[in-house]
Amino acid sequence: MRSLLIRGGRVVDPSQGLDAVRDVLVRDGRLAQIAEHIEAGDAITIDASNAFVAPGFIDMHVHLREPGQTQKESIASGSAAAVAGGFTAVACMPNTEPALDSPALIAEVLRLANVAHLARVYPIGAITRGRNGQELAPYWRLRDAGAVAFSDDGSPVANPRVLRQAALYARDVPGAFISHCEDAQLKGEGVMNEGAQSMHLGLAGSPGLAEDVQVARDVLIAGDTGKLFHIAHLSTAMSVELIKFGRARGIALSCEVTPHHLQLHDDCFASFRADGKVNPPLRVEQDAAALREAVRDGTIDAFASDHAPHTLEDKAQLLSEAAVGFSGLEIAIGAYAKAIPDLPAARFVELLSCNPARILGVGGGSLRPGSPADITIFADREWRVSAASFYSRGRNTPFDGAVLPRRALVTVVAGEIAMSDGRVSPRAMLG
Amino acid sequence: MPARNLLDLDDLSGSELTYLLDRARTFHTTPPRRDLLRDVCVVNLFFEASTRTFVSFAIAEQRVGADIVALPPGSSSLGKGETIADTAITLAAMGVQIIVTRHPESGFPYRLAESFDGHVINAGDGRHAHPTQALLDMLTLQAEFGRVEGLHVVLVGDILHSRVARSNVLGLRALGAQVTLVGPPTLLPEAMALEGVRIERDLDAVLPTADAVMLLRIQQERIASAVLPSLDDYARNYRLDARRLTALAPQAIVMHPGPYNRGVELTEDVFAFRGWRYAQQVSHGVYIRMAVLDFLINGVSVRA
Repeated sequence: MRSLLIRGGRVVDPSQGLDAVRDVLVRDGRLAQIAEHIEAGDAITIDASNAFVAPGFIDMHVHLREPGQTQKESIASGSAAAVAGGFTAVACMPNTEPALDSPALIAEVLRLANVAHLARVYPIGAITRGRNGQELAPYWRLRDAGAVAFSDDGSPVANPRVLRQAALYARDVPGAFISHCEDAQLKGEGVMNEGAQSMHLGLAGSPGLAEDVQVARDVLIAGDTGKLFHIAHLSTAMSVELIKFGRARGIALSCEVTPHHLQLHDDCFASFRADGKVNPPLRVEQDAAALREAVRDGTIDAFASDHAPHTLEDKAQLLSEAAVGFSGLEIAIGAYAKAIPDLPAARFVELLSCNPARILGVGGGSLRPGSPADITIFADREWRVSAASFYSRGRNTPFDGAVLPRRALVTVVAGEIAMSDGRVSPRAMLG
Repeated sequence: MPARNLLDLDDLSGSELTYLLDRARTFHTTPPRRDLLRDVCVVNLFFEASTRTFVSFAIAEQRVGADIVALPPGSSSLGKGETIADTAITLAAMGVQIIVTRHPESGFPYRLAESFDGHVINAGDGRHAHPTQALLDMLTLQAEFGRVEGLHVVLVGDILHSRVARSNVLGLRALGAQVTLVGPPTLLPEAMALEGVRIERDLDAVLPTADAVMLLRIQQERIASAVLPSLDDYARNYRLDARRLTALAPQAIVMHPGPYNRGVELTEDVFAFRGWRYAQQVSHGVYIRMAVLDFLINGVSVRA
C-alpha cells in the first residue's frame, strides 16, 4: 500500500489537543507522523491547504435498510453516501427486515460492509427480539458478533419493566442502549409537531411532551440500572434539561442531535407534502435554539444525521402514509456548520469524531501515530445541495437546493482514499 | 385573473370574498341562465360520506349548466393503488376541468391540485378546511345583518377537529368580524389562538354579546378517545338550551353546519328559536357553490 502525505492542512485533533497547520503521513493504513514539514518522496500527496484535517467522522445513527429494503438503500450505497459525506464510519440501526436481533444478521451486515469496502460499518443490535418490545435480544451473542450498541430505534420499548430488565441484564455488556424517545400513546397519529402550525393546518400533531416523558423515563432507568444510555436525536428544549438533570445526579448518559433539529421548524407543511416528515418531528425555533445552545455548552455529545433513506414514491404519499425521515449523510457536515457557524473547529471534530468513537467504544476519533488512518479532510466552501446526485438511494432531504457552508473534500479509510472531491473511489464501488 | 382553485379561504382576496358573496346573492334573487358552465366537465370526487355538501354541489353544478360526473362515496377506485398525481393526470386527460373533492385527510385537495391541470374545489379535507361551508355561513350572516364586518361571531364546540371552524376563522377575520372560540381545552387548545381571535372557556359569559353563535357537531367517538368524559358533561358547559337561548341578544342568530346531534350540542328548544338559521344556511350553500363554480371558470363577471 502506498503511503499518503496530507500536506499543509489545519490539523484539528482534540484527542491530542492539536489545532495547527501540519503535514500528516500515513503508512500501511495507520497514522505514521504529524509534523510541521514531512518529506516522503514515494507517497501520494494530497494538498490540504485551506482545509481542515480531522480524525475520521463517525455518523453514529444511520439506516442502511439492508437486509430487507434495498430499494431504499443498501449497505453498499449507504457506505458510498457515508464516504461521500466525509464519514469514515457509520453505526447502522437494526430496524431492517428482519431486525438485527441475531448474531447471524450482525455478521451478515459486517460481511456486506466488507464487500462494499468503503466506510466502516458498526451494526447496532436490537434491544428486543424483532423490535417487538417484549422479549430480550441476546446481548452477549450480538456483542460477540460485532454489535457496538443496542437500540429498538423507531419503536422504543414501550413497557418500562421490559426496558428495565433489558438494561439490568445488559449492564455489563459493552455497548450503550440507544433510546429513540417518543411515547407512542402521546404521539398518537401525529404526522408533525403539535403546535400552532399543526392546529392551523388541521394535521394531527405529536407533542414535545411525547419525547420529554420518555427521555425522563430512560434517564431514570439508566440511573436505576447503571446501564449506559445514549439518547438519540434530541428535539426539545426540555430533553436537554432532563439530560442535565440526570448528569447532575451522576447518571451516565450521552446524547446526540441531528442537522435538521438544529435548524428546521414545523413550518414546512403548508403544501401538505411529507418532505419534512420525520421522527421525532421538527419542532419550533425555541427548541432548535435550545439544542444549538446545548451543543455549544457541551450538553450534547454527538452530531448524528439519522440518515433515513426512502424512495421518492414512499415520500410522495399523503402525509399520513408517507415514509418517515430523509437522507442525511451527504448534507450533514454542511448542515451542522450552517446551524452553528461559529462553533469552534475543535468542538466540531469532537462532536463528529472523538465523542461518537468513545460512546460506541470503537476505534478512531484520533490521529495519534499508530491509530488506524481514518481521516476526514473538509473545508469551508459553499456548495448547493442536489439530492438527485446523492450516492444514497434516498433522494429526499429538506435541505435539497440549500446552500451549505462546509463540505468534505477527501475521506480516507484505513489509509485508502475512499472519496476525493465528491467522487467515491470506483475501486471501492465495485462492491 | 381568476383564482385557479378554491382550497381554502386564504386563496381569495378580501374583494374576491365580497364578490363571491354578492354574486351568490344575485343568483339567489335572479337565477342565472343555465349556460354559465356550458361544456365544462365537473367531477365530484368524494372519498368521505356526505349528503348535504354532495347534493348541494350537484344542484349548483346543474344550475350553472355544467356536465357532471359524480363518483359517490366509496365507489371510486381512484386514489387507491394509484398516486394522487396519477388520478389528477387521468382526469385532466379526459377533459375534466373542475374537480370537487372531499377527503378524510387534511391536505388531499392541495396535493391533487399540485398535479391537476384545472380547478380544484375543496369540499372538505380532514379537519383542515371547508371553504364553501364558511362562505355560505358568511352569506347567511350578511343576509341577516347586511354586513359581516364588526359582527361578534362565537364558534362553540369541537374547534380542534373542525374544518368548518378553521375556514370560518379565516373568512370572518378577512371580512373584519370579531371571532370568539369557545370549548374545553381538549377541543380548543391554546395553540389555536390567532391574532384577532379570542379563546373563551365560559360560553355563558360570551352569549350576551354574540351576534351569531355557530355550533359545531360533537362526535360520540371523542368519549372513547378520552377527549370528553361524557356528552352530558359537555352539555353542562356548552350545550345551547332554553336557558342559554334567553341570554342571547334580540338580534342574535344561531347556526350549525349540520348534521347536528339533538341533545348534545343543542336541545330541541333551538329549533323553535326565532334566530335559528340552519335551513337558510343549507339554502345559501347552493348559491355559494354556483358562485364559486362561475368564478373559477369565468372570473369576475360584469354582467348582472
